Amino acid sequence: MSTIIEVKDIRRAFRSPKKEEGMKGTMKLLFKPEFSEHEALKGVNFKIEQGSFVGLIGANGAGKTTLLKILSGLIPPTSGSARVLGIDPFDRPMNFRHQISLVMGQKAQLWWDLPAVDAFDLLKAIYEIPEKTYRERLNTLTELLDVTKHLNTQIRRLSLGERMKMELIGALLHWPKVIFLDEPTIGLDVLAAAKLREFLRVFNQREKVTIILTSHNMDDIERLCSRVLILRNGEMIFDGQPSKLIQQGACRLRVRLKEEIPAAKLSQWTGLAESAIEIAEPEADDEGDAGDIKTIYFETKQEAVVTVLQALMKNCSIIDMGVEEPSLESVIQRIYSDPKA
Amino acid sequence: MKLGNIQWRIAALKNGFQDATAYRLEFLFEVLGAAFVPAAIQWVLWYALFKVGGATQIAGMTYEDMVAYTLVSILFTQVRGGDHDFELAEMIRGGGLSNYLLRPVGVVEFVYIRGVAPKIFIAGFCLVLGIAAMLLSKIFPSVAAATPNLTPLNLIYGMALAFFGNIIHYQVGATLATASFYWEEAYSLMMVKNMIVQLLSGELIPLNLFPESMQWIWKSTPFYLYVFGPTQIALGRWSTEEIWMQFGIAGLWMIGGWVLIRASWGLGIRRYLSLGG
Repeated sequence: MSTIIEVKDIRRAFRSPKKEEGMKGTMKLLFKPEFSEHEALKGVNFKIEQGSFVGLIGANGAGKTTLLKILSGLIPPTSGSARVLGIDPFDRPMNFRHQISLVMGQKAQLWWDLPAVDAFDLLKAIYEIPEKTYRERLNTLTELLDVTKHLNTQIRRLSLGERMKMELIGALLHWPKVIFLDEPTIGLDVLAAAKLREFLRVFNQREKVTIILTSHNMDDIERLCSRVLILRNGEMIFDGQPSKLIQQGACRLRVRLKEEIPAAKLSQWTGLAESAIEIAEPEADDEGDAGDIKTIYFETKQEAVVTVLQALMKNCSIIDMGVEEPSLESVIQRIYSDPKA
Repeated sequence: MKLGNIQWRIAALKNGFQDATAYRLEFLFEVLGAAFVPAAIQWVLWYALFKVGGATQIAGMTYEDMVAYTLVSILFTQVRGGDHDFELAEMIRGGGLSNYLLRPVGVVEFVYIRGVAPKIFIAGFCLVLGIAAMLLSKIFPSVAAATPNLTPLNLIYGMALAFFGNIIHYQVGATLATASFYWEEAYSLMMVKNMIVQLLSGELIPLNLFPESMQWIWKSTPFYLYVFGPTQIALGRWSTEEIWMQFGIAGLWMIGGWVLIRASWGLGIRRYLSLGG
């Protein structure tokens, strides 16, 4: 498959005024403003093949949205280069705009006071979609996303989920070749998110479009993306399959102990950092009885499980234990919080 | 121009009109309300000067001339630019511009077309209203005497110039809006522009009331083409040669405005931050 997106050593810095606290800070900002520079992206490199579904993840402020804005052509990089569909995105030639789409979950792109159908009608004219094709696409999309009955309702009167689906339809009507999705399932209920995910999966497979998705919902990433890019503080720290991320991550040892032992002591016995030990409150059974035995989770490497267990058995009595495969979410959590991970 | 290019412009006009009329009462107040306050202020002023103060002529204009100017200028004040230049500035500041930058249309033109849609409707409405009122006014001899050259054709020419003015107003606003790329907030700058426009467009007073030595001020801006110029044309106070010259001047301002927009947006867009999201 051919490369559709190529990013070479992209850097992007933002300059913003710095305001100190209180009235003194206000006056200083007025007469002698100071600025600070923040580097949102620090030399990012990657290539994406046509038809891929790629997850772009990272903690808040990691640089995900900045990267999407550069790739879609909204802002230029400070240095480095990006090519999308063989074009420098910031040139934004008309043929480029016809082939891409950007959906920002936190930003309305349709017109608030108009029903979606009026907005779609305008988009049909903007993208020069023939009437028959437009009808077919609109029917397909509205049926897939189950919003046919809301087409004539003012956008501002729709629920968040319905609005998001309309935004997505508006972004797809012209059948783009590359779609940038920035947190499309934000604020959606479980059912709406699942429908949206299924729709994206089908759309990607059926139309062979390239999708880059950012999301804080690891379900989105796990179910949809064949490849994950992880950004931390503007740097790319992982590029590969989600399954590799899990293999590479720690496994989770679940233990219930006879006596209650503080995390500091457990850390001392096992040699694990306190941050790798989670003491969970007792879970209630079917009758609502929670009991008083807490479950302790140890995040560790698979090969270290026996050592940890031996250390525990030497110092206390274990009631039961189990080894769980870590969820993508827990692995990602650890990567976000551990600068050495 | 390609058919597709015309289609999106027509669709944008339709969409802009749908958006402007989404709230019927709000639209009605916009149509009827905005121009009547300055007109009422003018009428009170003229009444005080002529009827209470005893003046017979000011700058060669009688009370009837002033009232005729006030009434006719209402029609063109309605068509004077909207606030979509403010919308552009806010879009730059808040990141809303991103919604348009990725569409295969020129963002400045697209915002103008959507914003001007209700003005086209208002212009048509004003024209019909103006012609009807003009025909009715001929019943009253004193009004007819003050407006001997007010004809439907002059009103149409006046409205055409007012529309040129509308375009120039947006061009000036869209150029000033690019200050948002540098300062982020350009609201006050645009407000100052609007206040200057109110004074120099002839919306508040006929511009020939300016002292002779200060006439150059309004003549050196395009703002008089918004209201004063169209009113002069409608009232038949400009000769045919003058009218065509003013259309020519408006054309030159529009070319200048287009160049300014191209330059200021080309420079500013590199500083766009696309905030939010």
